[in-house]
Amino acid sequence: MLESRIRDLLLAARNSARKKGINAELSLHREKSSLIRLGNSSVALSTFEELTRLGVSVQDGRKVGSFSLTADITSQEQLQSALAQAHENCKAALPKNYDPIFGTVEEAVDDSTGYDPALENLAPEAKTKLCAGVVKALKPKGSYDFSGSWSSGSAEMYYISTANDNEAYRRLTDSRFVMVLKEQNRKWELSVERTAKRTGTFTAEDVAAEFAALLPMYEKNEGFKTDIGRQRVMFGPQAIAELVMLAIWGGFFGRWFEEKRAYTSSMKSGDKLFSEAVTITDDPTHPDVFGMPFDFNGKIRRSFSLVEKGIFRGVLYDSLTAARYKRQPTGHDLENWDIVLATGDGPAGIESGRKLAADALYIPHLHYIHLPDPTKGMFTCSSRFNAMRLEKGEFTAPLFSTRVTDTSPNVFSNVVAIAPDSVTVNVSSTYGQREPTAMSVPEYLVCDNVRITDVADSF
Amino acid sequence: MAMKTEAIGSIIKAQFERMLSAGCSFADARFYDEDRYQRVVLYDGNLESNTSRYERGIGVRVLKDGAWGFAATANLEAIPACFDRALANARAAAQLLGFQKDMGPAQTIKGRYRPPVERDPFEVPLAEKLEFLKGIDTRLQDKTVAHRYVGATFQRRRVNYQNSEGTEVDKWVLNTFGNMMVMTPDKQGRTQRRSLELYGKGTGTRGYEWLTDPDWFSGHAERIKQELAQIVAAEPLPPGKRDVILLPGQGFLQVHETIGHALELDRILGYELSYAGGSHVRPEMIGKLRYGSEKLNCRSGVTDNSPGTFGYDDEGSAQRDYMLIDKGILVGVLSCRADLAEANAKAGRTIVKQSGTATRACSFYRSPIDRMTNINIDPGNDGTLEDIIKATKDGVILDVPVSWSIGSNREHFHFGCEIAWEVKDGKRTKVYKNPTYQGHTLEFWGSLDMVGDQSTWELRQVPNCGKGEPNQVMELGHGIPVMRFRSVQTGEKE
Ligand SMILES: [Zn+2]
Repeated sequence: MLESRIRDLLLAARNSARKKGINAELSLHREKSSLIRLGNSSVALSTFEELTRLGVSVQDGRKVGSFSLTADITSQEQLQSALAQAHENCKAALPKNYDPIFGTVEEAVDDSTGYDPALENLAPEAKTKLCAGVVKALKPKGSYDFSGSWSSGSAEMYYISTANDNEAYRRLTDSRFVMVLKEQNRKWELSVERTAKRTGTFTAEDVAAEFAALLPMYEKNEGFKTDIGRQRVMFGPQAIAELVMLAIWGGFFGRWFEEKRAYTSSMKSGDKLFSEAVTITDDPTHPDVFGMPFDFNGKIRRSFSLVEKGIFRGVLYDSLTAARYKRQPTGHDLENWDIVLATGDGPAGIESGRKLAADALYIPHLHYIHLPDPTKGMFTCSSRFNAMRLEKGEFTAPLFSTRVTDTSPNVFSNVVAIAPDSVTVNVSSTYGQREPTAMSVPEYLVCDNVRITDVADSF
Repeated sequence: MAMKTEAIGSIIKAQFERMLSAGCSFADARFYDEDRYQRVVLYDGNLESNTSRYERGIGVRVLKDGAWGFAATANLEAIPACFDRALANARAAAQLLGFQKDMGPAQTIKGRYRPPVERDPFEVPLAEKLEFLKGIDTRLQDKTVAHRYVGATFQRRRVNYQNSEGTEVDKWVLNTFGNMMVMTPDKQGRTQRRSLELYGKGTGTRGYEWLTDPDWFSGHAERIKQELAQIVAAEPLPPGKRDVILLPGQGFLQVHETIGHALELDRILGYELSYAGGSHVRPEMIGKLRYGSEKLNCRSGVTDNSPGTFGYDDEGSAQRDYMLIDKGILVGVLSCRADLAEANAKAGRTIVKQSGTATRACSFYRSPIDRMTNINIDPGNDGTLEDIIKATKDGVILDVPVSWSIGSNREHFHFGCEIAWEVKDGKRTKVYKNPTYQGHTLEFWGSLDMVGDQSTWELRQVPNCGKGEPNQVMELGHGIPVMRFRSVQTGEKE
């Protein structure tokens, strides 16, 4: 549970709001974050932030106002001032033409199962040492540079409202490691990533071995410029995570669905959407993801089916959209979902997968994906790290930067094979506060008829 | 307890002494006495965002044995501990070091910057702001409009910057952003949109009065509604190669993504590879690379009124106005003091002599990185928009981004826009929907053959440029004329 010094202040603030007849929701986010930034085979920067953010939202009938504060929370005076500010915003607000859903903690939650004090306090020296180990193990020549980043830390999330006495609390740790090896003259880039909930899950030797396995293909072969047109593509984990996120972004936001801005807008639950092999779930109970147990409207998060064996099941409603369109909120008043693309019955391992794919492009990472037309589920992006040409099931050349412009329904309706094993991909962003977010995706996904629209003369 | 600003200043000075004694070559601190933010949004007339935020804290950097350590805290009782943490971080970083960072020649600056403001948005009552937005919302209502959106964002930061060289800068940041959008489904049931962001001419003031000046915002409500009706009735842009005329509402993003980001020195040096990406530019290309046609003149400008004008960067350097691309040749990059020596060493000659005064952080709890300033294209001498249309046989005019996807080294790109107007034989003919175009950066800028005059030049604000690890969102500006490019791949084949 949250440190009693702060918890007592928050509970007292809730009680005082109740006494004054104010409907208030209070949320707290505390983080300890540290990061090392690698560049030119050096640790160019090492950072540490310890931050507390308080959020207050006040609702009076159809009027809502909110206020947030980033500061060390030490006094009731601060909380009262934040509450007063949110209340002022509420008083001045224009009433909505629908009834907003006031936040209510459905059930008390006290979850620290994902918390590892050793990871919270992982010293920058330990990170530097591991990175130095990778550099040393590979002994790269003069034109090779390592860059990357390694973020680790803890986050605490606490949420209460005047609706009842329940408290929702969650504390967890996470780590995201990315190392990039770049050849300065030919400018190709290889990447190795690791995500973790605890310390000690990977070593310099693991990382170096993964680079070493990729290096010969890039060192010995010229880049391959593929043809524009439709091709078979074998996607790797980071690329799959991006494709799934885009499929959700374009098709599964309640707001976009209701307003005919989604490619699913004309569909109803039970309609066929993707290949039968495709099952997408937001599943906080899945062991590989970070598993957020509640949202910031107080809803307990349970497994939610988006696509089941290719069948469209339903879209995600935050409380705002749900209130406006008279739907039930689905536990999505938050940034950090727990998306799982189910594994399939393809052969195990990349090696077997590539034999099955035979002649294809292997694209494990996608860069800068965006939606030119969400109503068609159209996305565009380009290949990045570790991409290779596959001929007769063998990697034969590294790929030059290749643009894919296609639609989510097309890609996920042309599935050839899905790997039987899953990989966790860390998709956390660190804009604003620390929000550990991961997806569980199959090790590979082979699709036919993927549309290649441009190829560069460089990696 | 709210600690007094003056007391904090003297605590910081004492820490500099301590850090220098501990062997640091440089230390600095940004104390945010106040960082305020407010966002109000009406969506179909409903107040869907009505929030304000307040932050106060300190971020400190120390340079020890050529490596940076950064730490931040909102606990102003713990400033000495924050410096200790930054020092420990720098010590850890120095254990894996290739090129030692240094700040170059010391400079001592005493500076003060206040953005030009008539009416501080934080002094304007919320009710007045809502009444203003409600007025626009009412004008956006129409039986042809399915959904409408109007919002405004205000920022005010009071920052005290100090460093161990004796520099002290007292700086305010004040930004006003506004956006409106109308949406409606087309015949195929697919929602189309038309939008506008608060913009200007780079002159005047940037307080609440900018938002309420009808020339730059509310006066366009009827126009975007009419244009949406045209988009909804239009056919998709047929694929093909044709000339492309970018209005400033699209040109700013073309410059942002394929010039601005590519010319950030930290990207060029490879410090952003694991997240934002690298650059097709290498240090040795500076001064030599033909980036575009002779018509291309691009600068890091000190525009009077823009979020990219900030007086002093987050190393305390006074913002300079300088060329980045001169008659098509790359001559400058966006940089800070500490990366110059490394860039010159990598290039094998002096390619950057002084800081590009472009290092900024988005909050007290983020470390400064190279950011765009005002990445402006100088007006040309090819006349007005009408003159450029008259000179175009087969082309499209494009405005306002819907999507943007750029190669990791900014070497190629794909953009989708809200609207296209066909140009045939010197005349604007009809509207197309769902326009897209794509190209390769150097080839594309090489095809720039007409640049509009001052009458076409507009200052576009960017409130949300994302970069860095940990991630940072930054505000900046682009002053952009109308530009024409020859024979560009447009539209989607399927
Ligand atoms: Zn940007």
